[in-house]
Amino acid sequence: MNDALLLLAVLLLASSQILQKLGAARRLHGKRRPSEWLRALLSPELIGAIATIAVGTLLWLAVLYRMDVSRAFPFLSLGTVAVVAASRIWLGEHVSGRRWAGVVLIAVGIALVAST
Amino acid sequence: MSAGASRWLGRALLAGSIVLSAAGQLGMKAGMQELHALATRGVALSVASWSELAPAIEWTAAGLTAYGLSLVCWLAVLVRYPLSYAYPLLGLAYVLVYIGATHWPRLLEPASALRTGGTLLILAGVALVTVADKRR
Repeated sequence: MNDALLLLAVLLLASSQILQKLGAARRLHGKRRPSEWLRALLSPELIGAIATIAVGTLLWLAVLYRMDVSRAFPFLSLGTVAVVAASRIWLGEHVSGRRWAGVVLIAVGIALVAST
Repeated sequence: MSAGASRWLGRALLAGSIVLSAAGQLGMKAGMQELHALATRGVALSVASWSELAPAIEWTAAGLTAYGLSLVCWLAVLVRYPLSYAYPLLGLAYVLVYIGATHWPRLLEPASALRTGGTLLILAGVALVTVADKRR
């Protein structure tokens, strides 16, 4: 139950990270004026990023209620893995061997922390 | 703004987003721990007085504020730096949260070799994933 809650929160926060990255690249890049930022905030990417982070953060608080933060927080590095997977799957980007090695290190690190 | 001032602002924003995100996690945890302590003492939240709830609300609000500010700093960093420069350093937040959670007297979570090793592997993994590839 606790772990399911943790994974759901991580999934939402990782989705937000991907939407933030898309939003920054597509809507914020090169924009300096506050009015341009405000308009960018109303784009589907950034509205989605805000919605997923809002719900994800509420669930995250519920996770912290039940779990050590030194155990829960490392799971958020799954967001980095999710960004790699998303860029490979949806954006068709080439992922180098070094990046896959990093993904493996993160996965092993999470497994170690999760076992405590 | 001069190039030098702009560079320092960029570094301050990056450092701010890392430190604030770690501080946010510790603050939120402190708030949830206060809430948990209330529940453990058998105080129902619906009848708890303001003075009983205040520490939980204050720490949670402080944590959320730091977390929110870290996101604002991070968005400003994303606009100003290539991802390959900014992202690898974000892994430092994992180490800061770990040190804070195990040493802050309010939390004092148990340190263990497994958690320390796992946290360091994650730091290395995040750096490996996010450092830019050499162009071929």
